Amino acid sequence: MLLKYTRAAIAAFKFNFLSLVTDSFFLFTTLLMPLIYAVIAFGILRDKGANYGIYIAIGSGMAGLWSTLLFGSGNAITSERWTGTLEMLAATPTPLWIIVFGKTLGVIAQSLLSMVASYILGSLLFGYPLTIAQPFAFGAALIVGILAFLAFGLILAPAFLLNPQIQQFQNAMEYPVYILCGFLFPIALLPFWTTPLSYVLSPYWTARTLQGAADGTLTLDQFALNSAMVLVLGVIYFFIATLLFRWVLFKTRVDATLGLQ
Amino acid sequence: MASEPCYLLLDTLTMKHIWTNVELFWQGAVLSYRALFAWLNPATFLASMIIMPLGQIMFFTLLGIFATGAQNASFFLIGNAMQITAASGIFGVTMAIGGERWGGTLMYLFGAPANRLAVFTGRAAIHILNGMFEVLMGLAWGWLLGWVDFSHTDPFALGLTILIATFSTAAFGLLLGCFGLLTLNIMLVNNFVYFLLLLFSGANVPISALPSWMQYISWMLPLTRGIAAAREIVGGANLAQVAGLLAGEFLVGAVYLTAGYLLFRFFEIEAKRRGTLEAF
Repeated sequence: MLLKYTRAAIAAFKFNFLSLVTDSFFLFTTLLMPLIYAVIAFGILRDKGANYGIYIAIGSGMAGLWSTLLFGSGNAITSERWTGTLEMLAATPTPLWIIVFGKTLGVIAQSLLSMVASYILGSLLFGYPLTIAQPFAFGAALIVGILAFLAFGLILAPAFLLNPQIQQFQNAMEYPVYILCGFLFPIALLPFWTTPLSYVLSPYWTARTLQGAADGTLTLDQFALNSAMVLVLGVIYFFIATLLFRWVLFKTRVDATLGLQ
Repeated sequence: MASEPCYLLLDTLTMKHIWTNVELFWQGAVLSYRALFAWLNPATFLASMIIMPLGQIMFFTLLGIFATGAQNASFFLIGNAMQITAASGIFGVTMAIGGERWGGTLMYLFGAPANRLAVFTGRAAIHILNGMFEVLMGLAWGWLLGWVDFSHTDPFALGLTILIATFSTAAFGLLLGCFGLLTLNIMLVNNFVYFLLLLFSGANVPISALPSWMQYISWMLPLTRGIAAAREIVGGANLAQVAGLLAGEFLVGAVYLTAGYLLFRFFEIEAKRRGTLEAF
């Protein structure tokens, strides 16, 4: 069964990835938007010194990753409703969340390009040194962070499907996460009451770890704490996602209203 | 020699003609806004026209504070508050033109004998008002957060600056909207232009800090002069001191409006000639 689900997830990943790389809107969100943010950030932070180059590359890459996840995962199931294939997907033996998992993986694979693009831009165009001081910690943090992003994507997809009102707020969900997760500036600038909101967002802990690993200031304790937070939040997101998917299937099979807009 | 009644008749007919076009302008403005502005429903309007722009203002102002200190918050606040008029001026106006094609009403629009200038420019009218509302909202937000001080500001000069900047952005949107009649990827173009305005308009990075080739582009775009004028006015300048910038901003808008109108007419004539009005 694991092999069967893996095959289904890979198929969903492949099809979604291939369709997204030909979608001009997603290419803009994944590649151009982070580059523009990076150029603006390089311009604003120009007097902070060349050490901020990697900070900006990571921050703008994370911003691109979040935006792509928001629109890509958020529309993962809704797009199936628009094309009239949602009921068929829900009726297949493969659990719906496996298919959404594969699609979200495709979204994240594409969005990782934004981090690479920001990195290359900073290096080639601005000549900033973009060495990563602790590459193993950086790589491990990135992998753990991606797992949490996947789990978060599994929340977005059913949430947007169950309540179209939430999806209408998609455009409004970008900047709050950029701000609360401290992608390009520390959250210490924000009022104290926003700190708990930052703490429940896994991208905050991922960004902290990546930034620390990049400039070499990450200690083992910090790495352990940040990674543990990302994993715990990922598990919580996954649990919430399972509840939402159960509700989606209930609406499909019992109410028979899910295909309706 | 024509008699006096003939002149009176001519005056009446001219006035009637002008009034008809004014009505056409206004009715076209209202109808296109209600029918074609996809963000008009309350939730989407709140998300795209209020929360998203305020989020942008907060993000870049906080980034600017981190980079240069709290004393420069007003630089970023004013720049981004002025820039968010592009949400109406670019997205709203292009929907008002491109939406005719998507709605299948383009042939009726081009088949009607209505004055094309009134029809074309009317599309931007309410979005200009929308844009002004957004700028005022952004500035009010910054004032509430203590990021800007309006105690030295000439309100009339600031209001005029906002009006002219919004007009020039909407005129640019009219030009882009014409491309919406050609391409299916107009939202890609809109997003790209919106973000380029963030970079090139001086909203976040001083124009003088940009490479010279980028500065040339900046001065050709809407908002650049308007943002500079708004910063000077909030700093205490009067209208006479920013008149040059405002005149330049208005001229930029007029050029884009003229180019957009000529393109609109060209597309109409070519589409009718080729029979490709509804072709994708």
